[in-house]
Amino acid sequence: MPGLLEDEELGGRLGTTHILSRGVQEAPRLRQGFALTLSYALIGAAGRVVIPITVQQAIDHGFTAQGVRMGFVAVLCAIAGTAVVIGTLGQRAAVLRLGRRSEGALYDLRVRVIAHIHRLSLADHSDERRGALVARVTSDVETLAEFFQWGGLAWLLDGALMLIVAGVMLSYDWLLALIAFAVALPLVWVLRMVQSHLGAAYDRARSRNADLLGAVTEVVTGAETLRAYGAGPVMAARTRVVAKQRADAFVRAGTIGAFLFPSGEVFSALTVAAVVGVGVARGTAGGLTAGALVGFVFLTYRFLEPIAEFTEVLDQTQTAVAGLRRLIGILDLPIGPPRPTSPRPLPEGPLSIHVNDVTFRYRSRGEVDDDEPVLTGVSVMIPAGQQVALVGSTGSGKTTLGRLLARLADPLAGQIALGGVPLTFVANEELRRRLVVVPQEPFLFDDTIASNLGFARPGSSLGDLERAVAALDLDEWLATMPEGLQTMVGERGSQLSAGERQLVALLRASVADPDVLILDEATSSVDALTEVRMARALERLAEGRTTIAIAHRLSTAMRADRVLVLERGRLVEDGAHGDLVAADGRYAELFAAWVSSTSTDAD
Amino acid sequence: MVAVAGSSVFALCTVASAVVLRWVIDHVIDPSLRQGHVGTGAVLAGMGLVIGVGIIRAGGVVVRRTWAGIAHWRIAETLNGEVVDRLVDQPVSWHQRRPSGDLAARGGVDVDASVDVLSPLPFATGVVLLVFVSSIWLLVIDVPLGLFAVAIFPVLIAINITYQHRVDRFYTQAQSHLGDLSAAVHESFEGVQVVKAFGAEERETERLSVIAARLREARTSAVLLKGSFDALLDAIPALANVALVLLGAFRIRSGSITIGDLASMIYMFTLLVFPLRLIGFALSALPHSLAGWGRVREVLDEPVEPDPGASIRRAAGDVGVSFAGVSYQFEVDRPVLSDIDLVVARGSTVALVGTTGSGKTTLLRLAAGLLGPDSGEVAAADGARAIVLQEAFLLGASLRENIAFGGEFGDEEIWAALDAAEGRDFVEDLPRQLDTEVGERGVSLSGGQRQRVALARALVRRPTVLLMDDTTSALDPATEARVVARLRDALSDATVLMVASRPSTIALADRVVFLNDARIEATGTHVELLVANETYRSIMEAFELDRTTPEGV
Repeated sequence: MPGLLEDEELGGRLGTTHILSRGVQEAPRLRQGFALTLSYALIGAAGRVVIPITVQQAIDHGFTAQGVRMGFVAVLCAIAGTAVVIGTLGQRAAVLRLGRRSEGALYDLRVRVIAHIHRLSLADHSDERRGALVARVTSDVETLAEFFQWGGLAWLLDGALMLIVAGVMLSYDWLLALIAFAVALPLVWVLRMVQSHLGAAYDRARSRNADLLGAVTEVVTGAETLRAYGAGPVMAARTRVVAKQRADAFVRAGTIGAFLFPSGEVFSALTVAAVVGVGVARGTAGGLTAGALVGFVFLTYRFLEPIAEFTEVLDQTQTAVAGLRRLIGILDLPIGPPRPTSPRPLPEGPLSIHVNDVTFRYRSRGEVDDDEPVLTGVSVMIPAGQQVALVGSTGSGKTTLGRLLARLADPLAGQIALGGVPLTFVANEELRRRLVVVPQEPFLFDDTIASNLGFARPGSSLGDLERAVAALDLDEWLATMPEGLQTMVGERGSQLSAGERQLVALLRASVADPDVLILDEATSSVDALTEVRMARALERLAEGRTTIAIAHRLSTAMRADRVLVLERGRLVEDGAHGDLVAADGRYAELFAAWVSSTSTDAD
Repeated sequence: MVAVAGSSVFALCTVASAVVLRWVIDHVIDPSLRQGHVGTGAVLAGMGLVIGVGIIRAGGVVVRRTWAGIAHWRIAETLNGEVVDRLVDQPVSWHQRRPSGDLAARGGVDVDASVDVLSPLPFATGVVLLVFVSSIWLLVIDVPLGLFAVAIFPVLIAINITYQHRVDRFYTQAQSHLGDLSAAVHESFEGVQVVKAFGAEERETERLSVIAARLREARTSAVLLKGSFDALLDAIPALANVALVLLGAFRIRSGSITIGDLASMIYMFTLLVFPLRLIGFALSALPHSLAGWGRVREVLDEPVEPDPGASIRRAAGDVGVSFAGVSYQFEVDRPVLSDIDLVVARGSTVALVGTTGSGKTTLLRLAAGLLGPDSGEVAAADGARAIVLQEAFLLGASLRENIAFGGEFGDEEIWAALDAAEGRDFVEDLPRQLDTEVGERGVSLSGGQRQRVALARALVRRPTVLLMDDTTSALDPATEARVVARLRDALSDATVLMVASRPSTIALADRVVFLNDARIEATGTHVELLVANETYRSIMEAFELDRTTPEGV
């Protein structure tokens, strides 16, 4: 299978503009009504230049050499007050609209990604990738949320503000405005430079931070081993070194960051000085009034404020785009086997299984496609109701064959039919109802036994569940549980023993009441009592169903109607246990090795 | 202190910049553009003042932020170290009573939370000074206008605190919903095989989307609240400024103030809004910080419990390990071991056999000195004791470090230990051999390989007492038998106590101790017990049923 990493790189090759347009496409709510939001933002920005304009007007026309024109100032202030209120309302409306829409869009996106991940093939769900998949739904969507709460808002409001301020400055005095822009321009460059150093420094600090958390976790999880070997002090010293490295990294990042905000200050001072100098030097000749110059000084601060914020926002924007890119990488991953467009119903009752010349190979991980197939030309006909054991050494392909039968993947060549209907024509819902897989290490949800059983058939009553327990002869076991069916099983079922988790999984399968049962036998050791219970429950469960047991214990094979032996992806032997032992082939060999390893005799 | 000084410089220069602005308006702009004449000297002086004050103010910020950062992270470093020291000083029983995720959080994120309150401190000091000095200055310029302006400050601060308080509730809610979502998503993806097996993909997505909707709701509320308050906090100073222009007009007409006075007051106001907002922010972080600090203190304030290893006596001459009347329980009235009497001869190999919960592992832990008995006495022969636990714990470090594990051993010794643990072959196949990093950033080893590394860690110490908790169960039976046989050669003087479950392995022991229900039910050789003890026989049969097919045969 292509690893997620490769697929993320696939997303990585897409340009930023492409990612953004895909993002809007995946979350159409963002685009709807954006023009109105932008208009509100412009009104809000206009409200924020009211003060400089008021000061300018008051100085030029209110406080004349002849004295103060109170009437004018009063009218001016009334207009200004109204403008401030309107501007405030505009800004508020813009923020609220953007907030509602972005949160809605992120919710949509999150649910889409969750749905997509659920439908990815099992091969994309390996243990190593789980963290990455969870991170897509949590932290990657969170970077987008943070962006909208701060960066997106800044783009909108500050962008509008800079536009309006620049317009007003140009209207006062275009030459002075251009000078102000020119002096302020290097700020962008300085900030970008500081930013890039800062970004690298923070990356380093974050990675040192992860190191520290890892080291502390090791001290806690390895407490017993550390104690047993007296390695505590050494480990503590090691952790102190990591803690120091982390502190150093953050101090360094902080020091660089300390220059970010003040550089804006320095440029404000330079720009104001330049504006005053040039303004005064040109004098009234250029038509510049005292009020306009004072207003200009105020506007300069307003103009530079967003620049400083923009540079920080740019960094955040990059993080958000990277998050979006990873999300799109997930959405672009092909989902598991395609569902049929015109499904055909399965016949009622027990189902036969027909495997016809099946070959399968896992998609290679980006390297050359020369891996040996996991299964080669496997053909077998299993009549309805037969109990079959699938044996073979590790890597022989028995687990893979089980997966193909459950259509968790499709064969590369050949066909599998259930009750005469090719799997590719069976609707997913029907397939899952009629065929159930009990995996080797059954997963239980951190909930009650009852809800874990009910998962197989939503809407089952407690009575249904109790009947299922009785049918597998497990009521005696259930009685040992502190709260019966309402017992919490703990995270991954940790409150139960490995054997008990298996029992719950068998019960869960029986609640589903399928016609075909695929059982990947557990390898973990269980105690004698549970072992006996499990064997009995299995026998009951298998009754009247077509059962394929991927057998790790040959005792299971001994009990089956028929044994299939796989060897390097090929079906090498097929027959009853006794016949195969007598035939003195591969199975006989496996059986002999097993007998000697479990020998009870002392010699 | 340097940070506070820097912050004060910033505060004073902020006020100074307003003073400068007034001077520039009154002495440069006003004369030149309204009266038409101004000296070049005044213009240059004005420009110089603006730039000079700007640079000093910026310098203050740099100093404050740098030194605040240093103080913040050095304190964090010290706390990290103190918590970790305490964690390694506490015995295993102390650790067992606490969830490991919680303990790890105390040494990491809780430390960070508790020092978070430190960074804004110098800044807060600066802001208080700023508010104080600027208030005085506003009053000096003009008492009526100054009073009006100063009256606005408390209003702004009050609104700010109200806002932080209210918005925090939503953020806390959102944070907890995010935690729920994260846990639920993790579980759902982890159980994807079950989800798929029962065709529950859509149902699961539906279930998770309900949690995601709660998160959305909390956060939308926060954003809406923030939007409204932001607007309010922008509008109040703006309206106050409009009022200042109006009031200022009266004062200018009466000749009490100049245009420069008025403009600089308005400017002062604009500058103050931002610092005042940050004060609210810093205050809101306080409860979170205090909670983190409390959790860190809990670990640091707890006394270190005595080391149970110290209670182990020195065994006499030919005794390897002995237990005399030993009892142990985790909970009241649920004995894990009661009244155990056992003497293991030096140099012999003993297999501990029993069902789950029969106390085998606890017996090993007592012998290792990881737990102390509630009553009775444990004694062991002089020299190194090494225990190999069922779950091999490996550090995210090189194989060499994992085997040496804090001790000083040469490569020769390490390879010899790997030899005895049947681990040489797989290590030799690794590209960097002993330098191979394991764990998250390095290669991931199989269960059997991890166990062999853990075993080598024990063997390299040439222990006189070796304790193994079903250590070799992840190996295939043939390898397991080879390892156990080799151990007897490599450590001929050592006393070996091993929990075992394969009949073929148990048969290799000199003696079998059969534990049942917290007591020793029988001891003897494997064959003797098979003949004499019915329970033992039935357990052996169950173990036999449970055997897996040999791998790679």
